[in-house]
Amino acid sequence: MTRPNIQIDDEVREMTAEEYEALIASGWTEEGTNDLAG
Amino acid sequence: MATKTFTTGEVLTASDTNTYLANSGLVYIKQQTVGNGVSTVSVTDAFSSTYDNYEIIYSGGTSSVNNNFNLYLTGQSSNYYNVLLYGTYTATGPSIATTNNDRAFWPWVGGGFTTNGNFARVTLLSPFEAKYTRITSPTYQGDTNAGFMSGVNKTASSATGFTITSDSGTISGGVIFVYGYRKA
Repeated sequence: MTRPNIQIDDEVREMTAEEYEALIASGWTEEGTNDLAG
Repeated sequence: MATKTFTTGEVLTASDTNTYLANSGLVYIKQQTVGNGVSTVSVTDAFSSTYDNYEIIYSGGTSSVNNNFNLYLTGQSSNYYNVLLYGTYTATGPSIATTNNDRAFWPWVGGGFTTNGNFARVTLLSPFEAKYTRITSPTYQGDTNAGFMSGVNKTASSATGFTITSDSGTISGGVIFVYGYRKA
């Protein structure tokens, strides 16, 4: 899949592989699974 | 002088106008328009010695999935603690508590919906000062439940900015506003 973008102030770019790994490690998922949904 | 009461017929000088208009309680600092398809948005140069306490407001845009938002301070990657108290709209019982014990961010600062937009309101106490930062957020607001979050970052160091992340999917659009509470 395409990695999500990361934004720092006005700069928006695709995440690097390392940044994407850190995002996944934080518990992020592509699909919503949280208790707020619904 | 933070406030002044003008009297009938008194000349309103440019100096007074500039001073007392600027002496509002909540002062605009900056805003950041959120880009397309981002899971992480960092806002730099938001906190300084000018203010001790801040409001962060985010609204507008959409999310690719229904999600919650997290927030962390620039340069502080641990020691985040908070509690979420929430209930469902149909329940008559007390709130349910869920906790966050020493993670890398504060969860539940807001959320986003695919059709109804993104939202977050966060109050931060002393993020720039070299002491613990306190947080409250009332924007855990889903379709079936809602609640309030309160917590602390137990790192006695200064942060100049913050990052909002989605816990799933990506967010697009909307504007993040940062305000400071005037001290005098």
